[in-house]
Amino acid sequence: MVSTGEPAVKLRNVAKRYVDIVAVDYIDLDVKHGEILGLLGPNGSGKSTTLKIILGLIKPDSGSVNVLGINAEDDPVAVKRQVGYVPETPRLYEFLTGLEYLDFVGDIYGITVSEKKARIEEYLEALELEEREGDMISSYSQGMKQKTALISVFLHKPKLLLLDEPLSGLDPRSARIVKDLLRELKSQGVTTILSTHILEIAQAMCDRIAIMYEGRLLALGNMKELRQKARLPGSDLEDIFLKLTGTEDVREVVEALLK
Amino acid sequence: MNWKNVLRLISVDIKAGRLIRGQRLRRYRERKIFQYLLYGGACILGLAIGIGVGSVYTGVTDQALRDLFYQGARSLFLSFPSLVLIFSLVLTMMGQIQRMGVRASLQPPYWLPITWEEHTLASTLANLIGFPLASLILFSSAIATVSIYLGEAPLATLTIFALLASAFLASTTTEIFRILQARLIGAVYKSTGKAAVWVRFLGSMVFLVVFYVVWFAFTSGTGSIALIESVAGAQQTVWFVPYVWLGMVLAAFVSGLFVQTLIFSLASILFILVLFYVAVKLNTRFGLYEPPAITVSRGVYAPKVGFLGKLGFSSLEAAVMRKDFKAFTRRRELMYVFITPLVFILIPLMQYLGIYGGPVPPEASRFLLAIILLVPGATMAIMLGLMIIGEEGESVWLFFSSPITARGLVKCKYAFVIIFSFVVMLVCGVIGILVARPSPDIAIALLIESIVLIFALGAVSLGAGIKGADFTEAPRPRMVRPLTVLVYMLLCLVLALAIFSPLLLHAITMGYIPVPVTLPKISLTVAVFISAVVALVVAFVFYRIALKNAGEFLLKAEI
Repeated sequence: MVSTGEPAVKLRNVAKRYVDIVAVDYIDLDVKHGEILGLLGPNGSGKSTTLKIILGLIKPDSGSVNVLGINAEDDPVAVKRQVGYVPETPRLYEFLTGLEYLDFVGDIYGITVSEKKARIEEYLEALELEEREGDMISSYSQGMKQKTALISVFLHKPKLLLLDEPLSGLDPRSARIVKDLLRELKSQGVTTILSTHILEIAQAMCDRIAIMYEGRLLALGNMKELRQKARLPGSDLEDIFLKLTGTEDVREVVEALLK
Repeated sequence: MNWKNVLRLISVDIKAGRLIRGQRLRRYRERKIFQYLLYGGACILGLAIGIGVGSVYTGVTDQALRDLFYQGARSLFLSFPSLVLIFSLVLTMMGQIQRMGVRASLQPPYWLPITWEEHTLASTLANLIGFPLASLILFSSAIATVSIYLGEAPLATLTIFALLASAFLASTTTEIFRILQARLIGAVYKSTGKAAVWVRFLGSMVFLVVFYVVWFAFTSGTGSIALIESVAGAQQTVWFVPYVWLGMVLAAFVSGLFVQTLIFSLASILFILVLFYVAVKLNTRFGLYEPPAITVSRGVYAPKVGFLGKLGFSSLEAAVMRKDFKAFTRRRELMYVFITPLVFILIPLMQYLGIYGGPVPPEASRFLLAIILLVPGATMAIMLGLMIIGEEGESVWLFFSSPITARGLVKCKYAFVIIFSFVVMLVCGVIGILVARPSPDIAIALLIESIVLIFALGAVSLGAGIKGADFTEAPRPRMVRPLTVLVYMLLCLVLALAIFSPLLLHAITMGYIPVPVTLPKISLTVAVFISAVVALVVAFVFYRIALKNAGEFLLKAEI
């Protein structure tokens, strides 16, 4: 049971190391129920590893992971039942049709036949995939594959969404639908952790933003708190991000390239 | 034609083999010595064969025997171009069949300034890299060495040129076949609509069966000798077929007909150029052709309640089994799982039907029947068990992120292995019984044996397939680690012998297999019963191991 006031996701002292690379460096993180948390950071900063640790896909070397009141290490299957996850590059079964894939995922999560049918048809229509639902996924464009992966996580009405670059490859209409859908789900109490490199999306959609760098959690808070931390009043997320991650020398790099 | 571009493209093709060979991707260092080991080995072997044959020829003192030897060697020279053509055709076609399963196939980089002539030439030459080129080196070095002893250096030089031209001719033909096959498949998809999946599956099976029947017929002991004899004789009869013109060049040269030698040489060159021109034109037209999407269903979506659910499988387990069924009937690289059982029944069947080897004696008949009834199902169980987890490929992330338990995973995968192997066993068994017509008790005993072998070996290989799964997909799905395959294939062989040993004892005690001592008789029923008990114990133990491996596998989702 999830107790009132208990965060949806609670990481304490979580660390993960791959031989000579520190992927996650002893981080603490609380994500509230019904919150959209943006997880930002340069490539290799540990965002995807953190998402996988939360889902129970990767066992941390140390620390504790509590997801929706369940210890992810003790019962990862129970966590997975409540969570919807889209990886950065979702590989789908290319020999199945879009419809067959969604039907398969629906069965995996034990959705009843009538519910499955209704939800699949709704989502296919909303994301304009219904014309190609009977075609093999191998013939889909990157955007269509991304739409299929996204639909598959919404099917079982998860309480927590872990989305790694969810809008990558989507056309503007579909991207807008997904964004509105995430906001609507937030109002229904669904928690979302969104990893992205598109800072405008993070700024517009997320209640709070966590910035990771070299496995560490550099900053966590809403835009106002981040501006205070970066001492950049009135600036946008891009400037804050570049300052906090120590990569604000962009202008110099561009000038050097143009020489 | 920019020859440097051609060489660069061939070099890319050679480098594509790095991933297939499973070399490390980080801090990669080229070891060129291994690249040339095959060719160096072929050259040394050819030289050794040449020296050996030459020494035998020199050692023969009887003039009549020397003449016979000399004439024999000359006629072999004459048939070499056609033989090399056939073998190069088979080897390059095999190469193309293997490439069908490669995910990251070599697409022509059409946005670069490379012409279709350059691309076609590079592709044609690259087809020959590997065993076809090694065979050419072997033949050429052997011919060159032997010719020194025979004093036939001009004929040997011409033969080597003819061999190279034959190999190029074969490779160009394969290139044309490759392009046409891609276009034909596209046309089939378009015209057959929903049935395209099954047309492709059955078409692949028929192609493989025909290919292997021809291959075995040619390569069997008597078949290959017959082939050489028939090539040497038939060349003269079918002189109008352009593919034998290179052989005709040599035949005319040996007979001292220099005008004919020149005519056939020019005609051969012209034919190769025409064929290459056709390949270029086809590549220009269809080189970037993408087969249309296969539309499997259209219309109202009606989820199935499912027959598997009635058998006691949960919706998750049934969904995985249905998905696996689609994988094995739709994924081209997985269709190869059917080749091994096919090969196992093809050879005995061809022997029964008199296509391969000599007539079947009564003692061998029982053995051949046992192979047809026992081996396909058991082989299928081993192969499926080993690859059933690794075939998930990189899509395995869904398994890791889904609420699937170790018990559920093993149950559905094991059930799939058993059901699929049963189907293969039944199909092959019926064919075997119809062809060999054994007594009912023998047929029933062998079918029971086959069933228990499937249960036992399926469990062994599934445990191994979970432990040794390899989800690498590019450029070729690996599915299982080679060491796991080697170790568990041997284990399966040992266990299969242990399970089958009561029937062997029955055969010995009944006198079907002669031994010097007399043993008390074991009835067929008792032998089958003991065998089944052994098999069920093996199945139980290895099913538990598979469960343990699955538990570890789902916890170590390092993706």
